[in-house]
Amino acid sequence: MAEFSAFLSSAPPWFPLRFVPARDLLGVLPILIVGAGVVLVLLADLAVPRRGNRVLPALTGIVLLGALGTAVGQWVVNAAHPIVFNGAYANDRFALFADFVVLLTTLAVVVLSPGYLRRRGMEEGEYYMLLLASVAGMLVLDGALNLIVVFLGIELLSIPLYVLAGFARDDPLPQEAAMKYLLLGGFASGFLVYGMALIYGETGHTGLVAIHNVLTQTALRQQFDPLLLAGIALLAVGLAFKVSAAPFHWWTPDVYQGSPAVVTTFMSVATKVAAFAVFLRLFSATLAPYRSEWQVPIAVVAIISMVFGNVVAVAQTSVKRLLAYSGIAQAGYIMIGVAVGRPDGTQAALYYLAAYAFMNTGAFAVITILSRRGEDCDRFSQLSGLARRQPLLAGLMSVFMLSLAGFPLTVGFFGKFFLFSAAIHDGQLPLAIWGILTSAVSLIYYLRVILIMFSGVPEVEHEEDETLHLAGVTMDGSAVAARAPAATGGMPATAVILLAGVGTLVLGIFPALIYTLLQGISVVHG
Amino acid sequence: MTGLFPGFLILSAGLFSVGAVGVLVRRNPLVVFMSIELMLNAANLALITFARYTQTMAGQVFALFVIAVAASEVVVGLALITGVYRSGRRLDLDELSEMSE
Repeated sequence: MAEFSAFLSSAPPWFPLRFVPARDLLGVLPILIVGAGVVLVLLADLAVPRRGNRVLPALTGIVLLGALGTAVGQWVVNAAHPIVFNGAYANDRFALFADFVVLLTTLAVVVLSPGYLRRRGMEEGEYYMLLLASVAGMLVLDGALNLIVVFLGIELLSIPLYVLAGFARDDPLPQEAAMKYLLLGGFASGFLVYGMALIYGETGHTGLVAIHNVLTQTALRQQFDPLLLAGIALLAVGLAFKVSAAPFHWWTPDVYQGSPAVVTTFMSVATKVAAFAVFLRLFSATLAPYRSEWQVPIAVVAIISMVFGNVVAVAQTSVKRLLAYSGIAQAGYIMIGVAVGRPDGTQAALYYLAAYAFMNTGAFAVITILSRRGEDCDRFSQLSGLARRQPLLAGLMSVFMLSLAGFPLTVGFFGKFFLFSAAIHDGQLPLAIWGILTSAVSLIYYLRVILIMFSGVPEVEHEEDETLHLAGVTMDGSAVAARAPAATGGMPATAVILLAGVGTLVLGIFPALIYTLLQGISVVHG
Repeated sequence: MTGLFPGFLILSAGLFSVGAVGVLVRRNPLVVFMSIELMLNAANLALITFARYTQTMAGQVFALFVIAVAASEVVVGLALITGVYRSGRRLDLDELSEMSE
């Protein structure tokens, strides 16, 4: 650190970072690395040939590993004063834990991507650059300690995702998905900014710590300003959009189904983690003095999400769409952690997010591997008899489904257990009861996926041949290469699924592995 | 001057409502997009008003950031809308619904 400071103070006057204290730069080092990675990948894309190269994914992986390494370093150092940039950003353990989940998920997505993009015929270098830009937004969001930074983080996360959702440009479905995501995402941003404007107007601050202090004063005097409450409500609506909680979920099913499977993986896990990180920070820390005012509405949103997501998922016939509704329900469960608010609610929510990363990344990764040229293979009819064709994939998919349902011996069970027990400790019995009831409902559709994979005959083979034949006519020689990976998805992709499966089971038997990490984590504030 | 503050806030709330209703009722993606811009700029007006009212700079800085972000959203949005138009489909959100079951 001393050398770093010395280097900066001896830098020439035009060096842009000269006037920023080294402590601040070190505090946001993971973001700087990912940001530099964006530029690097974009430039490297010009230098390397487009098709079939592994340079860009490798480069992206190295950048992500670098960011992960520095985040681990920050965790180990555990700075006593993690707040940097004059109170705008905190690299506390809460933010770092969310960083870990985001970066690991993205690494899995990057490993899955090359094979998938080749099969779907959309190998463009911008893909990796957009992925990294979105990750930068998520890292900004994890530690944001100022309303302006929260807004910038959310937009930096979202705008690349709009493009990624529509990445298969010639396909009508992704176009539709991207358009819906953009319009409804923009709508949500409008609510978010207006809510922030009202909060700023009533408190005179954009820094979360300063807002917290003002709110503590007014809450003591029992003065609940209606404009401020409206601001909090608008803020909650904007964030509920981003985490896809019902009744602000309209975009989720269409966007999840229409986007390319790798993008859906990234979107469903990493975005949810980052959005919930800021949700938790804002509500369980900044707005805590007003808890009596927002606790009931948040709990109601949680219950609506759990009921709606689980009930509608029963009727789905596409796995991607089913996972979208299941994602709405999972958002409801995590929302319990927000409603409970205290450190144990926050820890339970973080635990569930980590668990969700394992099981959902795994489930979507299976869909990614099954995808064929031109389409994602996610209809129930296409999954039938999968156990006979690919027993390993079917077995792992079953593990992920059971974990999402909250079956014992899987990580999902403990995720739900910690959330429900946090709710009960806080005296919010209805939340726990609704959670348990809807989990029972969710068994119907998760078990149905397993049933379909293990019963039923494999899809007629000639159909697959026909697809490949057509592809062979229209596409160039790469169609031949597409035939081989369609069977297994290649070694690295299988390894990702195996790791996710092992993680789901091991953490389901030894939940303490993550829970001890979370002990004592609470949002650093002031 | 102080007497004008409620007026600015009411104007901003009105613009925001017009934008929100526009997003919900209009079916042309371009018009929906314009409505979103209206919502963001209503928020900008509120931010500037509050910045003046509380005598702090943060609101003005925030408004500048909102303008910059809105501009980059427009870039992506118009590109997507052009893409849909090029694919020969009508620009109507009701017709862009091949997935709903």
